[in-house]
Amino acid sequence: MLVKIVERVKEFSLPGKASLVVILVFLLVAILAPYISIHPHNISSGPPLLPPGGGHPLGTDELGIDLWAQICYGARVSLLVGFGTALLAALGGGLIGIVSGYLGGWPDKVLMRLIDIMIILPDLPVMIVLAAFFGPSLLNIILVLALFSWVFPARIVRSQILMLKERSYIKSAETYGAGVWYLMWKHFLPEVFPLVAVNMIRLSGRAIVAEAGLSFLGLGDPTSKSWGLIIHHATNFKGIYYTDFWKWWLLYPWLALIIMVISLAFISRELERMVDPRMGR
Amino acid sequence: MPRKRFLIVLLLAISLSLLLFGCGTDQARDDQKPGVAKGGEQQQVDIIRLAGGDWGYPSPYAHYPRGPGIFKMCLIFDGLLERDEKGLIPWLAEKYEIKEGGRQYLFTIRDGVKWQDGKPLTAEDVKFTFEYASKYPMVSSYIGSKDIEKVEVVGDRQVLITVSEPNAAMLYNLGLTRIIPKHIWENVDNPKEFTKPEAVIGTGPYRLTGYNKEHGTYRFEAFEDFWGPRQRVKVIEFVPVSEEILAFEKGEIDLAGVTPDVLPRFQNDPQYKIVKSPGFWGYRLLFNMGDYPVLRHKELRQAIAYAIDTKELIEKVARGAAVPGSAGILPPDHVMYNPNVKQYKPDLQKAGELLAKLGYDKLDERGIRQNQKGEKLSFNLLVSSGEVRLAEVLKEQLARAGIEIKVQSVDMKTRDARVRENKYELAITGHGGWGNDPDYLRERFAGRSRGGISPSASGLRGYNNDELNNLLEKQRLEMDDQKRKQLIFKIQEILAEDVPEIPLYYTTGYNVYRPAKYDGWMFMFDHHSLTHSKLSYLERG
Repeated sequence: MLVKIVERVKEFSLPGKASLVVILVFLLVAILAPYISIHPHNISSGPPLLPPGGGHPLGTDELGIDLWAQICYGARVSLLVGFGTALLAALGGGLIGIVSGYLGGWPDKVLMRLIDIMIILPDLPVMIVLAAFFGPSLLNIILVLALFSWVFPARIVRSQILMLKERSYIKSAETYGAGVWYLMWKHFLPEVFPLVAVNMIRLSGRAIVAEAGLSFLGLGDPTSKSWGLIIHHATNFKGIYYTDFWKWWLLYPWLALIIMVISLAFISRELERMVDPRMGR
Repeated sequence: MPRKRFLIVLLLAISLSLLLFGCGTDQARDDQKPGVAKGGEQQQVDIIRLAGGDWGYPSPYAHYPRGPGIFKMCLIFDGLLERDEKGLIPWLAEKYEIKEGGRQYLFTIRDGVKWQDGKPLTAEDVKFTFEYASKYPMVSSYIGSKDIEKVEVVGDRQVLITVSEPNAAMLYNLGLTRIIPKHIWENVDNPKEFTKPEAVIGTGPYRLTGYNKEHGTYRFEAFEDFWGPRQRVKVIEFVPVSEEILAFEKGEIDLAGVTPDVLPRFQNDPQYKIVKSPGFWGYRLLFNMGDYPVLRHKELRQAIAYAIDTKELIEKVARGAAVPGSAGILPPDHVMYNPNVKQYKPDLQKAGELLAKLGYDKLDERGIRQNQKGEKLSFNLLVSSGEVRLAEVLKEQLARAGIEIKVQSVDMKTRDARVRENKYELAITGHGGWGNDPDYLRERFAGRSRGGISPSASGLRGYNNDELNNLLEKQRLEMDDQKRKQLIFKIQEILAEDVPEIPLYYTTGYNVYRPAKYDGWMFMFDHHSLTHSKLSYLERG
């Protein structure tokens, strides 16, 4: 299994490999945050608005809280939101896709119309309303984001199932008396999993950006210290562009966000290329 | 060939955009030309633009109960008196007399005042206003339903108001109540819902000529038949602004608040003038003693006061532009400020002793104090999204004293509503009005609201101190200024000892404007904002 993964990774292009390394680094930073952050991430540890250097590698914000520590812990929030949303959306969407595709008939019709509605709904405005309505907390953000993300895996899985269930080996399994659950576990899931996995990576990138956006608008969890929230506080600092403070307070969380999202996009492209042979090699 | 054509099109597009751009800057330059004095010496200006935002429809019943909403309404509506730098000045009333030891007020209404629909202002309108405002309190209400006993019209230009009890603040309250036209409002039963164009007809210097709730824009035009001093500003516009200082630099707005960090940009440049605001806008920490009995312990509130380092709050959150809160509530800039009240210098040891005295002498594994029964000192702090940073510092400071704070942030209007309805445990609210007549202490601490919904008037539930209540009633009846000051001094001492709420700091922000464009800005004697004073836009004698 491990060998297989390594073999696959070897097929990655250079940006793909680099992206994978970046994501792994972010993962490590997130996991090891308490050990590598030097200073606490939620209480002040120095004078306010200290430029990078000295004891504070990336400087401090206006409350004197170390930015490096905030970015380390922010990576936790971003990754949690990203992968949490993707997992939830993929599970829910995958299940709905299988049900819709396998059963067909009116459940399929109802679900497909629901998906159509979800697709035309402009997601950001509705997310803003929902986030404001449910109140700011990390779990709510994940739930709201997942609510808007499940349609993509659902559609992909459904079309895949429609194709699979006409295959002769499925038909013969059915004639031998295979149940729905058996078919799902033994045949459907292994077939659709790679597709869903690719989609998950893309969804997590989207969720990270959406969380940052909601936090930036002040709808995130005010105590969670995500990257979006650091940017929110920095841009809310009156006249920040007329001072030097943006050079660290705004720049570093923004860079972290950009690098992570771009890396996820590259990885997702690489995986897509492998799963879907039609996309040019 | 196609390439050549493309180049030509590109060139055309560039020159066209340059042309348009040129026009734009020309226009901007026109706006910045200093107003030329016509006739008098005081410069006139065609248009002043200020940062907008939706603060409600500017009728006395529909605007939002905060400064920017109140003063927009005041541009349209006049009171019997007005505020200048030093105090109250006659306005719609030419003169006034206080009779019967403060029981009666005789106002002589100015002749020749016209409503913005052309009808003349009469004494009947004034009588109607006070009766109507007693029945339906205005948003920014100065009089309560039981304050006025009767209003009589004497002769054709005088109004005699008999109040239920003498009250030192009554002249201020009667004088600043906005006069509304009887012929429009007499048939209105639901003034809050009345937002027709007639609802914004007053006698004031400006007419509302545009309001967009969604964009938060307002446009006020000078009213030609205004009775009083000539308007120096023809049009006041409130425009949407995302970054105030950027908009000011680009000339999109004509006055901006700046933080000390940006101040050097404008200092030593003769083009700009910088004015510091007096500290009449403050933040206070509220305790809901009604629903949370633990907060009724004076020692707990004192311990919290000892645990808070206001200097750090000011340095970090206000960037130094504020004065620390006085435990006696009234700010240092207030005329009746008592400088000798007990002040709570940050002292964790004292805080700890006080908490231990209440039985909170053990720490749990997270360092939070708890008593024998295992009850922890943990509170929910309600703030608006603009005060999250303030709350974060506060949380850190209180954590050092073993008190846990959970920050709940909502938008400003929700916070205001929840504070009004007492749906909070601890809350931070910030508002102006700290420089007003000290009778506001009675509203806050003796639960005597005048019926308005202003955040500065939100009282405290579950707080009662008989001695304080007595003094608050006594100062109200005391018409002698010096004796009243003594009483207010005593009241501040009691408040400082009792800590029913903690004033955190009073902001003293900086305002910057271009005097060449317009220089009429002034502060009312008890207010923090240049743009809020009506006289800022009028010719001065």
